[in-house]
Amino acid sequence: MKIAYRHLVQHIEESPSIEHISNKLFQLGHEHEIDGDIFDMEFTPNRGDCLSINGLLRDLAVFYTVDLNQEVFTEKLNELQLDFENLSKNTCPKISFLKLEIDQVPEMYKNSLDNYFTDLGLNKNNFFTDVSNYLSYETGQPTHCYDGDKMGGKLLFHEIEKSEEFETLLDKKIALTGKNPVFSLNDIVINLAGVVGGKSTSCSTNTKTVIVECAFFQPEAIIGKSVKYDIQSEASHKFERGVDPDCHERVLRRFIKLVDDHADIKEISIISYDSKYNPIHQLPVNVQKINQIIGINITENEYLNYLSKLRFNIEEGFIKVPSFRSDVKTQNDLAEEVARVIGYNNIPTSEINIPQNEKPNYKDVENKLRFFLLDHGFYEVINSPFVSLSVDEAIKVDNPLDSNREYLRTNITNSLVENLLFNERRQKDSIKLFEISDVYSSSNGINKKRKLSIIASGRVGENYKDFSKKINKKYLVMLFKKILPNEVFDFKIVSRELLDTKIKNEIVTLEANINSFSSDILSYNEISQSPESFTQYSPISDFPSSFKDISYSIKDYSKTQELENLLLNYQCDIIKDVYIFDYFKNVKQKEIKIGFRFTFQSKKATLNSAEMELVYNDIVDKSLSISGISIPGI
Amino acid sequence: MPEFKDISPPELIKDRGSLHPINHMKDSIMEMLTSFGFEIIDGPEIETEEFNFDMLNIKKSHPARQMHDTFYVENKLNLLRTHTSPVQIRCMLEKKPPLAFISGGKVYRKDDDATHLPMFHQVEGIYVDENISFAQLKDLIYKIIYSLFGEDVELRFRPSYFPFTEPSAEVDILSKEGKWLEILGCGLVNPVVLENCNIDSNRFSGLAFGLGVERIAMLKHGVTDIREFYKSNLDFLSQFK
Repeated sequence: MKIAYRHLVQHIEESPSIEHISNKLFQLGHEHEIDGDIFDMEFTPNRGDCLSINGLLRDLAVFYTVDLNQEVFTEKLNELQLDFENLSKNTCPKISFLKLEIDQVPEMYKNSLDNYFTDLGLNKNNFFTDVSNYLSYETGQPTHCYDGDKMGGKLLFHEIEKSEEFETLLDKKIALTGKNPVFSLNDIVINLAGVVGGKSTSCSTNTKTVIVECAFFQPEAIIGKSVKYDIQSEASHKFERGVDPDCHERVLRRFIKLVDDHADIKEISIISYDSKYNPIHQLPVNVQKINQIIGINITENEYLNYLSKLRFNIEEGFIKVPSFRSDVKTQNDLAEEVARVIGYNNIPTSEINIPQNEKPNYKDVENKLRFFLLDHGFYEVINSPFVSLSVDEAIKVDNPLDSNREYLRTNITNSLVENLLFNERRQKDSIKLFEISDVYSSSNGINKKRKLSIIASGRVGENYKDFSKKINKKYLVMLFKKILPNEVFDFKIVSRELLDTKIKNEIVTLEANINSFSSDILSYNEISQSPESFTQYSPISDFPSSFKDISYSIKDYSKTQELENLLLNYQCDIIKDVYIFDYFKNVKQKEIKIGFRFTFQSKKATLNSAEMELVYNDIVDKSLSISGISIPGI
Repeated sequence: MPEFKDISPPELIKDRGSLHPINHMKDSIMEMLTSFGFEIIDGPEIETEEFNFDMLNIKKSHPARQMHDTFYVENKLNLLRTHTSPVQIRCMLEKKPPLAFISGGKVYRKDDDATHLPMFHQVEGIYVDENISFAQLKDLIYKIIYSLFGEDVELRFRPSYFPFTEPSAEVDILSKEGKWLEILGCGLVNPVVLENCNIDSNRFSGLAFGLGVERIAMLKHGVTDIREFYKSNLDFLSQFK
């Protein structure tokens, strides 16, 4: 909600700066950004009472001398004769109507009304609607204006549960479905209560007679309606968060005053319907409890002074919560008021000592498995559980994000196959992944299984011993036999026939319940460790990579280390990775053959052959400058 | 020149894998909290409205319960938990205070954009004992933030609103660029929640807090797009060894 600084400060005696008010608003928990002289406020959902100039001033009154007595029309008012019936008093326990007739629609606005549109850069609509919108901004109470000449007949407030088309005053046709609180005129819906009025009874620039509706709707009846019907409605935003049920007379008298400032009023009458709704809560004065909750030591006088400034009344040992503070119901709520006034950051800390208990680590087997897999080059992944494919036991999401995410997965392997194909498309030739996750299915109730799934394909490893070995089922069986020799696992080969890939490497998977692994794994001594620090991420490139291999013959084998140091530490912004993929010690020839693989990739663009050639030539030149080293073929 | 037979092969660099950075972050936070005295508890990701909302004082009218914010399953019979708090509710129903629990895991909300994902991770904690105060909550939060970001970090508490805590606060840290970044939410357990769990709120009070794991991991690792965590891209994952 946007609130102009000058609309606030004109009511504050101390005339604080915008920065000063901003600091106080933060202290009170009212987040905002400042754009020029405008506060763009974001209130927590429990503070609907702050959604107005007056609401915010009521909170700021704990820090400043605030004058909230805007002028109202004070003369006696006639009773409005209106053919109205409220059939849903639980939903709308309080409602008032005001009828006004003016002699001429004003062409110019004055004072607060004019400032509202000018300072906030808002578009005007028609006179009565403009007054209504301003009043909502000033008081927090939305009102709805019906054109008095279009309101002949019986007006009804009720909740309907039938489908009906309704055209809003914004020319949008909506089909009402489900239960909706509405106003009907002669059995035709003219207003979706608390959200938006209808076109058939809306005011125009010519309207001279208006019927103003001022109501309190239970938030439960309004909530979700604006989203359901895709209507931007400031009124529903306020009603959903709760408005002041006891403000009607003052708001309507203020409405009359604003109209009176702009036009000659020919007729005024008002009527209120009150279903004996009592919004007032009271709580006993208990400063000890407040001190205990916050961990401070203030006096009762200080405590009550804070509350008085926030317009709580103290009578005979009880604190009466103002009608606009529907969020305050308990001593903890009062403690929060005090804490806000003191400032959360000004409350001293008090040392906490939580008793240490014995803490069994019930995930020991799972963690051992994770580190065992890490030791063998597997990367842990986390996948979304939402999938498009359904199997019999899959749980359906009632309100999916889209049709591709309509079910919960019943296995992890399918996700890992997707991960594998993704990495293969990024020229990865050694892929080993695993995921541990709860998996849910539905057959005779919800079944939860904690599962490990692994997938592997391509080279066993990117080093000179594993480079030419391909991952297959035997490799994985042998791997698990090392740690769990007595257990048999159901490794599977995934057919590539139905996969969108031309790569032929065998894909091996395993999906097993965590509880199927015995505690034998606990004796495994892992090599990998959790990182002690948090690596700074370097953005990855989405451009294609390619590789170049260089094989060396080393006669002066004392220079092997020098070559390794040169190449493995070669710095260049388009070389992503380098490793030794081949090593052969020819005893007869007393010669060492060693091969290095360089992976090229740029973060800026797709590399062309000339760019790679330039770096390749530099590598070759530098390595051949070491005596006793040659590159066969060069 | 050394004897040929004495020449050793190059160091065999075996490629080790890596923990997923979100799981690593979650485990680190949980480990830190267990060192403070919290016990790890676990619970289901598919929950009932009763445990996910009602018991936590989240009223039927609360926007979070709308179909556009929460994933419902099985014709609204159940839902995907929107936070890990129901795990704590289940444990409070089973055990008597004093109790200090943490739960961490996946939670689900109906969001999907550059800064929000429909699935993300939370770590939440609760401590219930006699005379727990907001001042003690602040002490705990300082310990958590200092453990995560070092004792030089500047932090601030802001009043906030959660139906299950009262008073409620959000905690920000000041970034190197001078911008306040929201890190966690916390508060004193709303007495209504304690009573819902058959805990005498006149005798006991509690504190609670919750952290978004992705948020902390993004700050610690310098990742700017949350979606990177879930692409399973080896170029990304291999950076977190």
